[in-house]
Amino acid sequence: MRPCSMILFAAAAVSAANLWAAPVQAAPMQAAPMQAAPVAYNADPQTSKLEFVGVQAGAEFKGVFHKFTAAVDFAPDALAASRLDVQIDMNSVDSMDKDRDTTIHGSDVFDVAHFPTAHYVTKSITKTASGYSAVGSLTLHGVTKDVPIDFQFAALGSGAKLDGTAKLKRLDFGVGQGDWKSTEWVADPVKVSFSLVLKPKT
Amino acid sequence: MPTTSAPTRYSGIAQVFHWIIAALIVTQFTLAWMADDLPLGARKLGLLARHKSFGMTILMLAVLRLLWRMFNPAPPLPAGMAKIEKILAKISHTAFYVLLFAMPLTGWLMSSAKNYSVSWFGLFTWPNLIGKNQDNFDLLRATHEYLSDALFALAIVHILAALKHHFWNKDDVLVRMLPFKKPEKRR
Repeated sequence: MRPCSMILFAAAAVSAANLWAAPVQAAPMQAAPMQAAPVAYNADPQTSKLEFVGVQAGAEFKGVFHKFTAAVDFAPDALAASRLDVQIDMNSVDSMDKDRDTTIHGSDVFDVAHFPTAHYVTKSITKTASGYSAVGSLTLHGVTKDVPIDFQFAALGSGAKLDGTAKLKRLDFGVGQGDWKSTEWVADPVKVSFSLVLKPKT
Repeated sequence: MPTTSAPTRYSGIAQVFHWIIAALIVTQFTLAWMADDLPLGARKLGLLARHKSFGMTILMLAVLRLLWRMFNPAPPLPAGMAKIEKILAKISHTAFYVLLFAMPLTGWLMSSAKNYSVSWFGLFTWPNLIGKNQDNFDLLRATHEYLSDALFALAIVHILAALKHHFWNKDDVLVRMLPFKKPEKRR
C-alpha cells in the first residue's frame, strides 16, 4: 500500500505544481487536438490540374483531366478529420492526340460510356518528413482499390495549395482490355500528379 | 591512269554501312506496309514503335556514314562510263544520302507533331522537335510517304543499274560493293 500511496501523492503533487505554475498553458495543450477542425476547401476548377503520365511504345505521354472536382477538408493539426474527395469526369480526358483520345475513351481502356466518373477519397492521412501521405480508395473503371498518395500542403492567405503525386497500375483497375492488356507497348504503371488551388468553402 | 594505291573497291567499313542500312530500309518498308493495313490499336502501335526505333538507327548510321564518306571518297567509277552516266550516278547517290536523312527526320517530326514521342527500343526517348499540331502532322505524314515512294523508286533504279553494270557493261561496279568476293579482272 505504501508505494501506491507514494505514487498517488507524487502525481497529485505534480498536477498541483502544474496548475500552480502554468494553469493557462496546461489546459489548451490538452484540449487543442480535440478542438482543431480541418478547413473546408474546394479546388478552383480553372487553375487546379490533374494529370497523368503513361508510357506508350517506350516513350512517355501526358494526359490531363479537364473536368474534376475536389473537396478538401484539411488542417495540419487535424489530420484525423482531414480528407480529400475527388470526382473525375472521365470524358474530359485529353492526351493531346485525337486518335489516342478515341482509344482511351473507348471500351478497351476507360470505357467512359459505362464508367463516366472516377472517384478518389482518402481514408487516412499521415505526416511524413517532406509533407503528407494518404491512403485512399480509388474507384476507376468500376474497380475500387486502395491507392496511396504523397502531397504537400501550403496555406496561402485564406486558401491553400495542395500538390501531390500517386503511382498506380492501370491493370489493377482493368484499364486495358483486349490487345491493350499487354504491357509490351503500354506500360502498366501510370504516374498521376495533381496541383490543387484551394479556396475556402463559402 | 589511277595509281596502284588508288582503291578500286569499297572498303569494308563502306560495305558494312551500305548493307546494314540497305537491310534496315527493307525492314522499314515491310513494317510500314504491315502497319498501314492495321486499324488503330496495340499491334499497329507496336509495329510503328519498331519502325521508329529502326528509323532513328538509320539516322544515326547516316550521320556516321556521311562523316566517314567525307574523309573516305568512293572508288572512282569505271573509266568507260559516259559523262552523262557518271553525272546520273552522282545524282542518284546524292539523292540516297538526302533521303537517308530526310526519311527519318520527317518521321521524327511527324511523331513530334502527333505528340507521340520517339523511343529508341524503349531504352531512351528522343525529344520532340516541334509542338503538337494536327495540320503539321498531316503535312509531314504526306511528305514522309512521298519521300518513301521516291526512295522506293530510287532503290529500284539503283538495283537495276548495278545489275546492268554487272551483266551488260561487265564492269566491277556491283562487285566492288560485295563482301567476300575477290575483285575480278573487269574494266
